[in-house]
Amino acid sequence: MSTVMKTTRDVRGVGLSIPRPDGPEKVTGHVQYVADIKLKGLLHAKLLRSPHAHARIVSIDVSRARALPGVRAVLTAADIPELKRKAPTRAHAVLAIDRVVFAGQPVAAVAADELSIAEEALDLIDVKYEVLPASVDPLQSLKPGAPPVADAGTEADASEALAHSAVAMAKSDDAPPKAVNVTQTANVKRGDVAKGFAESDVIVEKTYRVPMVHQGYLEPHAVLAEWDTTGQLTLWASTQGSFNTRAEVADVLGLEENRIKVIPVECGGGFGGKIRALCEPITALLARATRRPVRYVMTRREELEAGMPAPQVIIRLKTGAKRDGTLMALEAETVLESGAFSGTVLAVSSVFLGSLYKWPAFDIKGSEVLTHKPSVAAYRAPVAPQTIFAIDSQMEQMARALGVDSTDFRARHLSRPGDPMVNNQPWASNGAFEVLEKAAAHPMWKKRAEWKASGGNGHGLRGTGIALGGWLGGLQPTSATVKLNTDGTLAVLTGQVDIAGTNISLAQIAASAYGVDIEKVKITTGDTDVAPMTGLSAGSKTIYTVGVAVMQAAQDARRQTLEIAAGELEAAMQDLEIVDGRVVVRGMPDKGVTLASIGKKGNLYMSKVPPVIGVGHPAFTQQAPAFAAQLARIEVDPDTGEVKIHDFVIVQDVGHAINPLACEGQMQGGAVQSLGIALTEILDYDDQGRLRNPSLLDYRKLTAADLPNLETIIVEVPSPAGPFGARGVGEPPIIPAPAAIANAIEDATGCRLTEAPMTPEKIALAIAAR
Amino acid sequence: MPKQILSFTVNDEPVETLVQPYVTLLDALREDLGLTGPKEGCGTGDCGACTVHVDGQPVASCLMLAMQARGRAVRTIEGLANAGVLHPLQDAFVRLGVPQCGFCIPGVLMAAAAVLAEHPRPTEEDIRYGIAGNLCRCTGYTKMVAAITEAAGSLT
Amino acid sequence: MRRFDLATPESLDACLKLLGSRDRETKLLAGGTDLLPQMKNGLTKPALVIDLSGVADLRVLAPDDGRGFRVGAAVTARQLERDPRVKATYPGLAESGALVGSIQVRNLATVGGNICNAAPSADMAPPLVALDAEAVIAGPKGRRRVPMASFFTGVRQTVLGPDELLVEFVIPTPGPHSGGSYLRHTPRRELDIAVVGVASQVTLGDGGVCAKVRIALAAVAPVPLRATAAEQSLEGQALTPERIERAAALAVEAARPISDQRGSAEFRRHLVRVLTRRTLTSALARASA
Repeated sequence: MSTVMKTTRDVRGVGLSIPRPDGPEKVTGHVQYVADIKLKGLLHAKLLRSPHAHARIVSIDVSRARALPGVRAVLTAADIPELKRKAPTRAHAVLAIDRVVFAGQPVAAVAADELSIAEEALDLIDVKYEVLPASVDPLQSLKPGAPPVADAGTEADASEALAHSAVAMAKSDDAPPKAVNVTQTANVKRGDVAKGFAESDVIVEKTYRVPMVHQGYLEPHAVLAEWDTTGQLTLWASTQGSFNTRAEVADVLGLEENRIKVIPVECGGGFGGKIRALCEPITALLARATRRPVRYVMTRREELEAGMPAPQVIIRLKTGAKRDGTLMALEAETVLESGAFSGTVLAVSSVFLGSLYKWPAFDIKGSEVLTHKPSVAAYRAPVAPQTIFAIDSQMEQMARALGVDSTDFRARHLSRPGDPMVNNQPWASNGAFEVLEKAAAHPMWKKRAEWKASGGNGHGLRGTGIALGGWLGGLQPTSATVKLNTDGTLAVLTGQVDIAGTNISLAQIAASAYGVDIEKVKITTGDTDVAPMTGLSAGSKTIYTVGVAVMQAAQDARRQTLEIAAGELEAAMQDLEIVDGRVVVRGMPDKGVTLASIGKKGNLYMSKVPPVIGVGHPAFTQQAPAFAAQLARIEVDPDTGEVKIHDFVIVQDVGHAINPLACEGQMQGGAVQSLGIALTEILDYDDQGRLRNPSLLDYRKLTAADLPNLETIIVEVPSPAGPFGARGVGEPPIIPAPAAIANAIEDATGCRLTEAPMTPEKIALAIAAR
Repeated sequence: MPKQILSFTVNDEPVETLVQPYVTLLDALREDLGLTGPKEGCGTGDCGACTVHVDGQPVASCLMLAMQARGRAVRTIEGLANAGVLHPLQDAFVRLGVPQCGFCIPGVLMAAAAVLAEHPRPTEEDIRYGIAGNLCRCTGYTKMVAAITEAAGSLT
Repeated sequence: MRRFDLATPESLDACLKLLGSRDRETKLLAGGTDLLPQMKNGLTKPALVIDLSGVADLRVLAPDDGRGFRVGAAVTARQLERDPRVKATYPGLAESGALVGSIQVRNLATVGGNICNAAPSADMAPPLVALDAEAVIAGPKGRRRVPMASFFTGVRQTVLGPDELLVEFVIPTPGPHSGGSYLRHTPRRELDIAVVGVASQVTLGDGGVCAKVRIALAAVAPVPLRATAAEQSLEGQALTPERIERAAALAVEAARPISDQRGSAEFRRHLVRVLTRRTLTSALARASA
């Protein structure tokens, strides 16, 4: 069925910049997050965490903690028979059994009447550790003989990769012998790179590094658990996917999914960090042990020390070109540091390194390596910002070495729809070229020479940078329903957690697809008991997939409505249309019935008319890549290395802007995360695997005073399969800034930085060294 | 440790309540008085999500003990609207599509209200420095600045 | 936080009595912007906390009979930032107050707390040192005065005894043709802690020559440091750009920075030079105005 629909006669729906309907609740402080929910008899949980990155647990004595008045339960692994000896995923490692594999790993859990009492109880738990050598540097950890992180035989966890993109992993036939901590490898090759380099006139070889960073959501992980007397568990969770949470908790605790209800409470930011279960199992266990509701909210320190950050990515990249600009060869080695459990999207990196531009010969090797650090999870376009940092910086340097405009250079070599990716899949239709063109036409890019020349003379060094990146777009089957109420309004139901403001856009899609104004549509996110099966709010796929489900459900409801009306009006369905809340015969406005009357009849005692309920439950095969370019105009203090961002532009292809206001918000928010990766953010571990900066004082997120107004330019290259041509919007804007900033710094100072974050110290010392 | 009597004014209403001496103002507001608008994002004064007004000045309520508010006037986000009528800041935030996840919003609005009290005609710099103590991960701040500017215009 | 008892004295004497009779781990609470995070991180676990917010004597902010200015220990950073008298006469001190944390933190953070916490990076220390301020300390035997340059004895250590309380600072009025400046380097514009901080205070004499100069450095030694060799190189001299640059280089030699997660020693030395140059230039401009 074609998904590109024309709207029914001028309804207010798709394309409108409508604010989110929960705005008033949010600005008055009425919206409830997990930590705001009060239940009678609530207990507060605290976890005791390992101070060592790798150690054997010799003994744990909780007797003094259990004796503290106000403490209701203290659990260790010994109290939880469900725990698997070899935890296949981080979520399964509820409490460490006999070994800890990262500093911050939970070792014991307490539930008490007050949080203060729980804290004191932790002081009273005695754990004896035998400290073991730790693998902390990924480049050391991937060598044979490094201290082993996983129990032997732990398989690479591919679920993260599948959640975020449908990239087929390239398995290599001649895999090198694996060192014990290397849990995934990949190798894609084409042509003869040695020959390509031999024939190149310009070769650039650099190593790019982006450290582990935290997703930075403002609301820490929080969960409230309560069992009823029949053994039903209710979890109020801050999560990006209630069905995924339910499935993981069921698996970890050995319960049937029907025994668990996950209520997705308003989520104070996720960005990939709240996809996987983390705190839910232990909180459920404390609730079961105490027969009281238990709430666990992570402190900020715990989030930074023991969250699920983005992996460190190290890419050695070598590219060659001829003097006339012909690309010849690309060689890359990528190392993704996954922490203590496997879970990186290794394949995505290979794809973007080798597929964004057309390379006649390439050889791209990647490996995922474990270290004794908290294991990773997704962070908004996982691995893409780091990968684009490498490949776009490289393209910029090649262009400079060849003396050509770097946007011309990118455009010349950009893969187009239909061109093969590294895995030989053809590139799906996308707007990469249009985005690049639009960005290159911006006055900020055109006037970069004047900006640079205006530097010095009482100003700092001035420069401009541009970069292009994109996301392949996630896919996940999903479902939605649309009901006709007895007053002619519509009720849309999904299980979709609304973290990005997608609910209003989904309602707009329903409005346009059914044929009523948006004011007549209410959308609800249901819990796992009442909602149809829904996927994750991640992967930039909510509008792309749930939008289709809602659209199909609305179309289904419309068809049912017209069928009923056709019977009443004794007309053919194809002659009917929906106008101003009535089904009318086209051209005969007096011959019609109200939607309300149809809705009423579907709920009337003894009525023969069925209730209208449309259902959409699609699965998908076609991705819709979405691209963004960012432009940064900066000024660098040559003495202190401080970077001031004067102007910043995000150009992004959204396919079709269902709600332009919402698109802008995503573009601006993602850009600031991207700038944080570029300039200030790093999870800084010492050589013992302990985090040196476990607070927001030293884990630096950018403030309003560090930023200018962010200009947004929406480009629309409709996707063939997205609802009304829409593409995913969430991920592309986090991708280009590290490369754009590195390019701007080189323009301003002549220094090429390849290690993020590009702090004032690195810049000042690079300038001083020149 | 016995509880202590805390007498103060909250959102223009006199309040007398018993609190543990070791709870923060943030926790007392949230847990004892049910005012869950102010949030805990970090607990160490580094994110601004807990911002309330004490005697008209914006403070990090996670860094004050509840008993330190004795005899003083506290205003939370729940006290920004007037008898159900949204403050121009709140109204502008809604219309311009500012809130996304919403977690930072109560703190930002309280900081913004303080900015406007000090700068009735704020420059962009006044606004950005005035909310620099409020971290937001969703919005990138641009629409906040526009909304605060617009609200200032409608107040003067 | 772990549980504790709270005392809320309403006078200095009541305070001193509590300190004198303490029988368990006790901490003084002013703004809480250092103490509460430390308690939440388990770095300190007092059984008794003495809240100073009811002691009005600690909040004085007023001239000292024409001989200078009194800044109570519980005066907030925000007050220093905005008070017109402080801004006019002690601009470096006002600048240091303006840089602490964020507005929400500055409305709580006190100058006394910043000084007594005695972190090497304390922003308000260098200006007070550069202004030759004195700390007024109350104890069981009465009051004593300590020059700021001698107040700090090590990282997080001061001359305060366990039964003593910092009451206020007395800052002498700088002579005519004086100017001061405080600058620090941080990666972000707000919500940050100084990687390096420098305060310069200059008084010009006849012929525009430097009659008196003080240069104080933060975060490059266990305690706030005066760059005395740099000062001596300028006293009695005209403050030309070359001499300022020379002084900046001498200030670098006085610094003993460590490398930590906020910055390397190499970068800190680099910053000492830059910020000394800039604060001297700014102080000179203010002194000449």
